[in-house]
Amino acid sequence: MAFTLYSLLQAALLCVNAIAVLHEERFLKNIGWGTDQGIGGFGEEPGIKSQLTNLIRSVRTVMRVPLIIVNSIAIVLLLLFG
Amino acid sequence: MQPAGLAAAGTPRQRKWPSKRRIPVSQPGMADPHQLFDDTSSAQSQGYGAQRGPGSLGYPAAAASPQAAFLADPVSNMAMAYGSSLAAQGKELVDKNIDRFIPVTKLKYYFAVDTLYVGKKLGLLFFPYLHQDWEVQYQQDTPVAPRFDINAPDLYIPAMAFITYVLVAGLALGTQDRFSPDLLGLQASSALAWLTLEVLAILLGLYLVTVNTDLTTIDLVAFLGYKYVGMIGGVLTGLLFGKTGYHLVLGWCCVSIFVFMIRTLRLKILAEAAAEGVPVRGARNQLRMYLTMAVAAAQPLLMYWLTFHLVR
Repeated sequence: MAFTLYSLLQAALLCVNAIAVLHEERFLKNIGWGTDQGIGGFGEEPGIKSQLTNLIRSVRTVMRVPLIIVNSIAIVLLLLFG
Repeated sequence: MQPAGLAAAGTPRQRKWPSKRRIPVSQPGMADPHQLFDDTSSAQSQGYGAQRGPGSLGYPAAAASPQAAFLADPVSNMAMAYGSSLAAQGKELVDKNIDRFIPVTKLKYYFAVDTLYVGKKLGLLFFPYLHQDWEVQYQQDTPVAPRFDINAPDLYIPAMAFITYVLVAGLALGTQDRFSPDLLGLQASSALAWLTLEVLAILLGLYLVTVNTDLTTIDLVAFLGYKYVGMIGGVLTGLLFGKTGYHLVLGWCCVSIFVFMIRTLRLKILAEAAAEGVPVRGARNQLRMYLTMAVAAAQPLLMYWLTFHLVR
């Protein structure tokens, strides 16, 4: 049973990196998940798709700088300790 | 409850401190056995005693002479006073800031349990079929402490059950000659990782379905921790009666936890529908129903996944 907290941390870092590399113009707009497509006003139900779009946009905005730091640390540590 | 009792019990004993502690500064081990946190120096004990203002009226006067006997010059007197005030400031700072990282006051609510509650809750976890009323009682907008309401979530049972699960896993591995001490840490880490993953997945699900619920993260951790009780039961039966016992008890506990989770989460997630007691059609309610079913169905799966390698 090798599922440890450390592997969870690694998986989380990789997932956040994956969300961060989704390009707004080249990719998200083409599949209709762009941030200016159909947000809808102050209606009652945001719906899953707009929640997901918002989530992706927020993660990309908020985690941009911390990801740089955490990735640099991870690179250095993995180079040193394998 | 407990600090008041300690202070009350500590007050008459403080008057005994000068007689017990006058001479041995070098023997920190000789302390009042009923005190939970011992001061290991007379200087610090005087500063600590001075903090408990009302109870220690007789103390500084009685301690003045032994202190004077040790510290003749005023400089070290001042240094001692400064040191004790620094310690008090540090304690204050920690107390003030600990609330930012660990919500201590909120956590205290989840540990306000007593034996009767624990007994009834364990019975409910193994046999939830006859319980009628699953609503948590409120008292002026705050939920009632678990001691008074069996439906309230608590963190005592999940914490104890988690630790017991790790120990029982060690026991099971030991009976199969597969034990080594780092395996205990691996089991604990693995179970914690699954718990964290579950909590994150459910939080993501709650966010996506835009549920307006008062289900806090700690509540969620409490509910997800209840499955460890069934896991312990299954593994212990597996140790005593072999694989058939394990499968029987684990199957029973899986169904019980499934029913328990559905009935508990229904009130939290499907608030409007549950209030009427009638399943309401509609896209939003359907999504919420799916979410509740998914959460409840994940429990038996995880219970099996985390224990099947322990019973051979």
